Amino acid sequence: MIKIKNLEASIDDKTILKGIDLEIPAGEVHVIMGRNGSGKSTLANVIAGNEAYEVDGGSIAMNDTDITEMSIENRALEGIFLCFQYPVAIPGVGMAYFLRSALNAHRKHQGKDEMDALEFLNNAKAILSELGLDDSFLKRSINDGFSGGEKKKSEILQLLTINPKLAVLDETDSGLDVDALRTVAKGVNKFKNENNSVLIITHYQRLLNYIKPDVVHLMIDGKIVKSGDMSLVEKVEKDGYSWLEK
Amino acid sequence: MIDSIKKNSLEFFNANGLPSKKLENWKFTSSKNFKNFNKSSSKAEKQKIESDELSIVFINGVLDIDSLENFKFSDLLEVKNLNEIDNEELLHCSANFLNESMFNLGVSEFENGNYLSFKKNSVIEEVISIKNYFFENGENERVSSFNIFHINKGSEISIIEEDIKENYSIFNLKLNKFICENSSILKYGKSFNDDSQTHSLSYNYYQIEKDVVLSVDSMVKSSFFNKEFIEVDLNKVGSDAKINILNLGKQEQHLDNNILINHNAEHCTSFQHVRNILDNKSKAVFNGKVIVSKGAQQTDSNQSNKNLLLSLESNAFSNPQLEIYADDVSCGHGSTTGALDENSIFYLRARGIDYSSAQKILIKAFAKEVIDDFSLSSLQDISEIALDSWIDG
Repeated sequence: MIKIKNLEASIDDKTILKGIDLEIPAGEVHVIMGRNGSGKSTLANVIAGNEAYEVDGGSIAMNDTDITEMSIENRALEGIFLCFQYPVAIPGVGMAYFLRSALNAHRKHQGKDEMDALEFLNNAKAILSELGLDDSFLKRSINDGFSGGEKKKSEILQLLTINPKLAVLDETDSGLDVDALRTVAKGVNKFKNENNSVLIITHYQRLLNYIKPDVVHLMIDGKIVKSGDMSLVEKVEKDGYSWLEK
Repeated sequence: MIDSIKKNSLEFFNANGLPSKKLENWKFTSSKNFKNFNKSSSKAEKQKIESDELSIVFINGVLDIDSLENFKFSDLLEVKNLNEIDNEELLHCSANFLNESMFNLGVSEFENGNYLSFKKNSVIEEVISIKNYFFENGENERVSSFNIFHINKGSEISIIEEDIKENYSIFNLKLNKFICENSSILKYGKSFNDDSQTHSLSYNYYQIEKDVVLSVDSMVKSSFFNKEFIEVDLNKVGSDAKINILNLGKQEQHLDNNILINHNAEHCTSFQHVRNILDNKSKAVFNGKVIVSKGAQQTDSNQSNKNLLLSLESNAFSNPQLEIYADDVSCGHGSTTGALDENSIFYLRARGIDYSSAQKILIKAFAKEVIDDFSLSSLQDISEIALDSWIDG
């Protein structure tokens, strides 16, 4: 699915990623944990193509296609989906219009016909119902006036509507109460299957109580320093990260 | 009476000349192009315009009386030539306008101005269309007009005004007075959406009485130079004035709004919302002022000016002002100027929407926030279509 080799990236001449190697095969859920400032969100943004970051070395490939120099939108069309840590509010752009525009951009890229408004609405309403959101959600402007929980649910609504190949969840669990966390986890579990992959970036174990990861990576100072199973999460919860520096 | 007013106005203009940048409302506006225009001659042959039952037609600023034959509500409308008016108070506009040399030039030059009065309790649900046709009499003409609209007690009138110039480039110097009597509703929309290179300078004075609901909405897309003065006198209790304006500027267009709302009575509300979207070397000016008089307690007023700059060479000058002389009021004002938000563009692109489409979505969103506040849905529709073509153009 995605293969990242020796990735180096910087922002404002400050090097953040110092040689990331990561491979997530189809059907797997991987987790990256690390201290604040270790480069987790930078990695998520660089995978999504955020032009604020400079790729200084290495490569990113999706299904054997090198996307390192690819535009943001083309990466998205190739199947990368970033669940934003801080989704922006865009007053004046309705959720329904936005979702349908995004979905149809993907369908066009896949050589499919645009989805008509009725079919789109029926699909969207079914997803909304599963996320415990009212249909009126579609009439609101993108993330405008949304609570923290609604913003994260909005990201999951987009994830399930677009149905990408790789979902990168950048601290999607931050700021969520238990009910919202369960709803988000339910959405991610509904999304994942043997043909797609999930990369979860988080500080805490609590989301992983609902989404079981296949591999856990620990990141320190721009590098993945250890990979393993769920026991690594328990070790971090208990001992923090300092043991990795010894 | 009108002759003596015109004579005085000409003397004022001759004494003061074209406005200079030393004047506050002209600080960012050049009047040098005004010299290129001469007073229109009235020698052209009268054009026959086919009008529909909801239209009132003006030709080169003068009411086309023939258009009223088809007008569905002509029995609710009283029309007089301003020459027949001997009531000085009726002809009087704001004192601020009287100190404007271009207003005085317009007064001195207009011919055959009209007084259009909607009778008491005229409730018209349909939207009346005022169509201003302009036909060329000669090169570089200045067409001056002065008309008074009187909305009598209990009347409810909706109007959309549009200019039709057929690529004829003129200097349109337009003076209007609106009188809204007690318990009347006036929804006045303007669409300047042709592709002419017009110079347009307008002075609109609204005299508002008790319990009036006034909304003034406009969308300006194409004039080369468009400067509009709006002055609203809220003279009696319980009235509400809303002004929503969208300006779309490209090339070297100059788009300019000067709004003064005088809260002269208590328990009135006013709202100004002006948005400018500026590309290329276009320029926008906003001079907005609210004056709350000493006795105008319980005033609720807000003014907002937001400018979206699409190029490094576009400019917006914003000057929102409040003068408050009462102590129990709620007044707010604000102004923002900036480019499209890069984080929002990234967010849309991260969902597969290309850069150009993302920009268009955000421009439309910025405009829609004021279009959605237009009180007339038909003006909303006109504006959205015009906006689409402006973005794609």
